[in-house]
Amino acid sequence: MGSFKEIVNTISNPTILFTSVVIIFPFVFPPSDWFEKWHRKLGLHHLWSKKAIIIAMIGMIAFFIYGLGDYNFQKIVLKPDNVPISGLIFLVVFFTWLSMYQAYKNDERLEAGQKPDEFYEAPNDKVLVWPDLVYVELISLIIMSAFLLVWSIGLPAPIEEPANPTESPNPAKAPWYFLGLQEMLVYFDPWMAGVVLPSLIIVGLMAMPFIDRNPENSGFYSFKRRRLAISLFMFGWLVLWVMLIIVGTVLRGPNWNFFGPFEYWDIHKLEALTNINLSEIVYIKWLNTGLPESILIREIWGILIIMGYFLILPPLLAKTALKDMYGRLGVVRYSVFIVLIITALTLPIKMYLRWIINLKYIISIPEYFFNF
Amino acid sequence: MPDGKSTVSKPPVPKSPAALGKTTKDSEDINRRSFFSWLSFGWIGFVAATGGFFTMMLRFFFPNVLFEPVQTFLAGYPDDYIIGEVDTKWKDKYGVWIIRNDQGIYALSTVCTHLGCTPNWLASAKKFKCPCHGSGFKSTGINFEGPAPRPLERYRIVLADDGQIIVDKTKKFQQEKGQWEDPEALLKV
Amino acid sequence: MSEEKQKSLLEKAAESQIWKSIFRGGGVPRNRRQRMMSVLNSVFLHLHPVRLPKHAVKLKFTWCMGGLSFFIFLILTISGILLMFYYRPTIEYAYTDIIDLAEQVPFGIMRELHRWGAHAMVITVWLHMFRVFMTGSYKPPREFNWAVGVILLLLTLLLSFTGYLLPWDQLAIWAITVGSNMARATPFLGSEGPGASLLAIGDINFITMGSDARFALIGGRFMGEAALLRFYVLHCIGLPFIIMIFMAVHFWRVRKDGGISTPV
Ligand code: HEM
Ligand code: FES
Repeated sequence: MGSFKEIVNTISNPTILFTSVVIIFPFVFPPSDWFEKWHRKLGLHHLWSKKAIIIAMIGMIAFFIYGLGDYNFQKIVLKPDNVPISGLIFLVVFFTWLSMYQAYKNDERLEAGQKPDEFYEAPNDKVLVWPDLVYVELISLIIMSAFLLVWSIGLPAPIEEPANPTESPNPAKAPWYFLGLQEMLVYFDPWMAGVVLPSLIIVGLMAMPFIDRNPENSGFYSFKRRRLAISLFMFGWLVLWVMLIIVGTVLRGPNWNFFGPFEYWDIHKLEALTNINLSEIVYIKWLNTGLPESILIREIWGILIIMGYFLILPPLLAKTALKDMYGRLGVVRYSVFIVLIITALTLPIKMYLRWIINLKYIISIPEYFFNF
Repeated sequence: MPDGKSTVSKPPVPKSPAALGKTTKDSEDINRRSFFSWLSFGWIGFVAATGGFFTMMLRFFFPNVLFEPVQTFLAGYPDDYIIGEVDTKWKDKYGVWIIRNDQGIYALSTVCTHLGCTPNWLASAKKFKCPCHGSGFKSTGINFEGPAPRPLERYRIVLADDGQIIVDKTKKFQQEKGQWEDPEALLKV
Repeated sequence: MSEEKQKSLLEKAAESQIWKSIFRGGGVPRNRRQRMMSVLNSVFLHLHPVRLPKHAVKLKFTWCMGGLSFFIFLILTISGILLMFYYRPTIEYAYTDIIDLAEQVPFGIMRELHRWGAHAMVITVWLHMFRVFMTGSYKPPREFNWAVGVILLLLTLLLSFTGYLLPWDQLAIWAITVGSNMARATPFLGSEGPGASLLAIGDINFITMGSDARFALIGGRFMGEAALLRFYVLHCIGLPFIIMIFMAVHFWRVRKDGGISTPV
């Protein structure tokens, strides 16, 4: 069984984990016909059946029970402030399944020319709030209260040593719901990871109803007719948010190094963190001239790349790959959409640049606190 | 709101026949127009006053006097420090490392330039290592690994009249701005 | 006579003057009319319409996540008020008051209830947003309410974040140190943000450690007494006040936008 732990440790290495998730993802939530075809061929649509969720739940419970036998795993998972994350994992899996299960059932009904399950014929199909809704609510409240009481009695809230402004704990972590953001800090400077990207998440969410203009399919679960919207949202929510939180909580140990879930948190684990800037690659590695004095000349390559990415790529895409979408959305909506998307994409791009060529910044002007 | 708009730009035509006389209509028009321009003055004034008020309210969050611990301290005599060593005795109280090398003595801030954790001096590896996200700094303060974007800051360090070292944390020197060349960033002894 | 006898105790009580004075419309909600009246006449139940499409009351459709978020918010308000009876927001007392809350105060799980409730609310709000997305309920005419929801999400996270500092232990101050230092990196408004050094006349910078976004947040140049007080006020008064306003708008709009969304 030791080798099983090793396998888990190995695949939870972010390079492998992230790459495989990115590859598998579009087959699970197919955004286009081609993926949809393979989705069916590979039998992945069975994921949204009752059998699958039972197997998944049993599998996850078994993994947790097995893991709890391991000292290192236990220490991370049972840390009081981490307990909600275990809950989050189960809940996210369950509710993702529940929505997709209903969505697929409705898709079938629609294909067969029927109305979705939620369809009702006014006014015959209306029910009274008292008692039909009031009781559902009452029962939910009672269950939630009982659940919170048991949780509170069973698990004392953590309190650590009194604050000491000169001694940082190792590792020092934000509350778990911000660990996705903290994970971005590894790849971006604080002004991006802490200010710009979170603001864009908020703006992006608010902009969503104005960009997704597909008027169909509101008020019931469905997938097929909104597959692009759903698969984009799912990627943001499941991969860039929930998964990064889990990575930040479970897999980041002392000195913010990576540790597998069954790996001992060794403070002295050494990891080369020597990263270099694009300017250094160009002038020192390739041209062998040493960094130029002038900031502008030093950073011109990075500036050109970023300008190209944000100013030339969107119109280029509008003319080529995203022509249809551009036509449908119009200039304003398309611009907002594409800027949000390609900004979000800078995260995976920087991740890979970091992993492959140890790149630190594309543009680095510490003189003006501008690093990208 | 198409209706609301049309009433503003085109005043409704009065219905009674008496009011249809040209003169009355014109004068009424002018009156209304001048009334609107006065109103817009009023609105501009109102918006400006409200804006000013909220700006002042923003100022409310920046008090004129701060009750923070004293930012200068006496750090003993230059001879207390050994050449080539990092002295950590002021770290807990003042958040400063004092380091002496061949050129002189400098006071290094213990605030990581990434997000403000306190790095530890690892004497064996001869580096400052930040526990939060793993930045590493040489004993000069220069960053060489991890996410920190720039070197640690140095504080003003001078000699008092009686020969003691004064460290003044209100004045910082940043390497990337070339401020370490400042005579007060390095105490020559 | 025999009809009189069949009346239950509850029904008799419902005929008393006291009952009638409290519950307008009166009567135990047994028949259709009484049930409708009981919803219409109650300020609380009136959040709901009287009748709903049948899928809207099903757990498998809404997961009751919005309702549970609101319910947990109420639990947090009550337990939070109780905690305020003991907690003093100063560096000297904050930490020991927290310890005392568990050890010296009877029913010492109030802190647990508050802390785990906060975690639970973050999760329920996320899941609520997820279900609203999956049912496509953000589409017209509900765009505005979706935006209000996003603000509620932001406020929920900010409430958790500000509360995290209050125990004044190692966990608290370092999480907030790292978090508030991000404010220092705000473009233009943070002393170490890109562009801040452009806002200067000659040698005089406008945005310094003593005048930037981080300063406004923690009330000082260093994490200390002022930061604790500011976070305390935001956590206990400021943010709850704002979130309640947005919640009121949110609930109002759920009804005004036609109730729980339905297929056309
Ligand atoms: C403090 C947090 C929140 C509370 C207490 C809350 C409460 C509720 C409640 C009680 C409902 C009725 C239906 C249901 O339970 O699903 C509802 C509906 C709705 N919520 Fe929220 N909500 C919150 C946050 C959010 C967020 C974060 C979003 C989205 C970003 C959102 C968007 C909506 C929309 C669009 C509806 C209408 C859904 C429909 O018509 O089917 N809300 N909310
Ligand atoms: S705070 Fe030092 S590395 Fe992040």
